[in-house]
Amino acid sequence: MATGQLRVRLFAGLREEAGWHERTLIHQTGMTAATVWTLLNLGGTAPPATVRVAINHEFAALHTPLANGDEVAFLPPISGG
Amino acid sequence: MSSTPLAIPVDVELLATPFDPLQSLAAWQTRLRIESPCIAAAEAHFIGRVRPVTSDGAPLEALELEHYPGMTERRIAAISQALALQHGVAAVFVGHRVGRLKPGEPIVVVAVAADRRGPALRCCQEVLETLKHEAPFWKREWVNGCGHWVAANTPL
Repeated sequence: MATGQLRVRLFAGLREEAGWHERTLIHQTGMTAATVWTLLNLGGTAPPATVRVAINHEFAALHTPLANGDEVAFLPPISGG
Repeated sequence: MSSTPLAIPVDVELLATPFDPLQSLAAWQTRLRIESPCIAAAEAHFIGRVRPVTSDGAPLEALELEHYPGMTERRIAAISQALALQHGVAAVFVGHRVGRLKPGEPIVVVAVAADRRGPALRCCQEVLETLKHEAPFWKREWVNGCGHWVAANTPL
């Protein structure tokens, strides 16, 4: 991924509600998963409490600052095994 | 001076097509024998299969299992490694299906090798319970051509 961009991914029910699975955004200083959620009009001012955030394949807090080239994902409730 | 704990052998397999958990276990045991001359005295195994009914009790047509490629494997490996160290076991194996499964098909196999049955059994159960909540998988139940995402795990 080019420097200066963010890759945003959605899964399962979130993907189907939004109608897309992946988007690219221009990274700006101070952006967090919370601001990405709002910018992409994913619903309300913040994700529901049941939605978890991952940054570069690791769980992260909603307000963790994002860096150039990061991949941020919004994960609906997990149900494996 | 701090010391880094030695890595414990952890095998993770995500499988996109039906698999035989007994064959997976046999292959893992063979790998263990090759990698380590000391055979662990205890092994705990768990095999999970798709239920024939949905969480609401309707007859299930199929179960779809979505995952996050890259993160799912990484999370299972990290969970297994941490719990292996915590319980002091010798090796962990996790095989997990993804894609579309029919009722009765194997969905997960967890195996733990250890010196004693206690750590083997406890670690096996904890790996399974933790991956159910901490490894990104999403289940969708299909009934009469309609899919419904499952929002919670089944009771223990």
